[in-house]
Amino acid sequence: MNSGCRIFLVSFVALGLSWGGFVIAPAIQLGTQKQTAVLNSSLTYPEQRPGEATMGLQVYRRSGCAACHTTQLQQDGVECEVIVTGMGKTPVAVSNLLSSLNLTGLSKDDAQSASDQITAKGGKTEIHIVPTGGDIARGWGSRRSVSEDFLWDYPVQLGSVRMGPDLADVGSRLGSYSWQLLHLYAPQATTKDSTMPPFRYLFVVQKVGDVPSPDALQLPAEFAPPSGYEVVPTMAAEKLAAYLLSLHANVPLHDAPFTAAAPPEPTKAKK
Amino acid sequence: MMSNDPKEHTPAPAGSPGNGPALPVWIFSLTLVLLFLGGVYFDESSGWFNAQIYKPYTDADQLEAYQPVSGAAAILAQGKHTYDTICAACHGPDGTGKPGQAPPLAGSEWVNDHAHTRLIEIPQLGLNGQVTVKGQSWSLSMAPMGAGLSDSDMAAVLTYVRSSWGNKGDDVSADDVKAVRGTIAGHPAIAGETGLKAIKE
Repeated sequence: MNSGCRIFLVSFVALGLSWGGFVIAPAIQLGTQKQTAVLNSSLTYPEQRPGEATMGLQVYRRSGCAACHTTQLQQDGVECEVIVTGMGKTPVAVSNLLSSLNLTGLSKDDAQSASDQITAKGGKTEIHIVPTGGDIARGWGSRRSVSEDFLWDYPVQLGSVRMGPDLADVGSRLGSYSWQLLHLYAPQATTKDSTMPPFRYLFVVQKVGDVPSPDALQLPAEFAPPSGYEVVPTMAAEKLAAYLLSLHANVPLHDAPFTAAAPPEPTKAKK
Repeated sequence: MMSNDPKEHTPAPAGSPGNGPALPVWIFSLTLVLLFLGGVYFDESSGWFNAQIYKPYTDADQLEAYQPVSGAAAILAQGKHTYDTICAACHGPDGTGKPGQAPPLAGSEWVNDHAHTRLIEIPQLGLNGQVTVKGQSWSLSMAPMGAGLSDSDMAAVLTYVRSSWGNKGDDVSADDVKAVRGTIAGHPAIAGETGLKAIKE
């Protein structure tokens, strides 16, 4: 065997193995990915994005958002919390027991044993599954990202640099259309210390016509255009905002389980 | 007697000439240590190539153990998801309704009514015509948006509506929905407020 043949064989095996590992194996695992069931529900996840949001993904891509933003939440661990929902007929016994029990940050087995002790005294409990980790502590989402989250995305804009916050669940965190547009035009108008550059080319500054445009941004004085002018979003900005609002990774799935918090009560009565 | 033959002072070459130099011990040990660490990492992170297993879970049994059981919170979450998917387009994500499209659910007397039969029937049959909500008259038509939902989803969404945005209504169970559905099969859409009031609670 001469050395040319040996070099060819060794490179062939090396490239073939990496191709099998990086291309074929993921394709076998995830190539047939489908919508999946939302836990404790007959609904499916993820829903197809609206058309405008699907086009917004391309604006996201060409504006280079993925250079500074990721759309992948990480999760370091999972904990259980025991929630007492009823004191039963012997509230004193239950409350004595509760003072000696640790109810948060438990493993599943410890949570089950604490729950069993409370139930034995007549109390009612629920065990809540709580994902933990830096991204979740920052309030960026309620669980880690899983492959289903990206089912409708092509190309997937995972990103690897976090100059800005993660956007996997931004549609749930900052679900206001006007906020998103304002933030794209003047990031510092919504977030004072933001290092994000303004994306002004997604907007048009135009003379106010006979009737002011209903789409014009409501800008604070320091960012406002000269008087007699108004800032209106282009279609690209509207698509991008629609895409950002469609980023939801907030439902529990079989491969990323958590107990969804009860929806919060409104802080003020709306008339 | 001292030998002057230089060959006697030359150290023997390592290994026999045909096998090349011997593998240094440190490379051998380092390889073993790396293989061991790789094995530990693989065991912790691979999930044994199951596409459903993500960090922090290590195997399917553990993932199964951490599935949330349905409780009050799970039902509300299920209801919120159904509401956001189906109802929110007209009634608004915060239940305040939309002028010309749908009356508010937040604070509506029809939602907070103690009994639930009317509330269950509206999304099953639809509602056409004039109805007064919070002192305001609405004359619109609602399609039977909930007819395709399962009993459990229908119950969850009504429970969510009755316990959100300041509403204070009793929970609706899947059995309630099933019972009401059994009595209304084939009925036409409810005719406005008079039709609603004709439904016996």
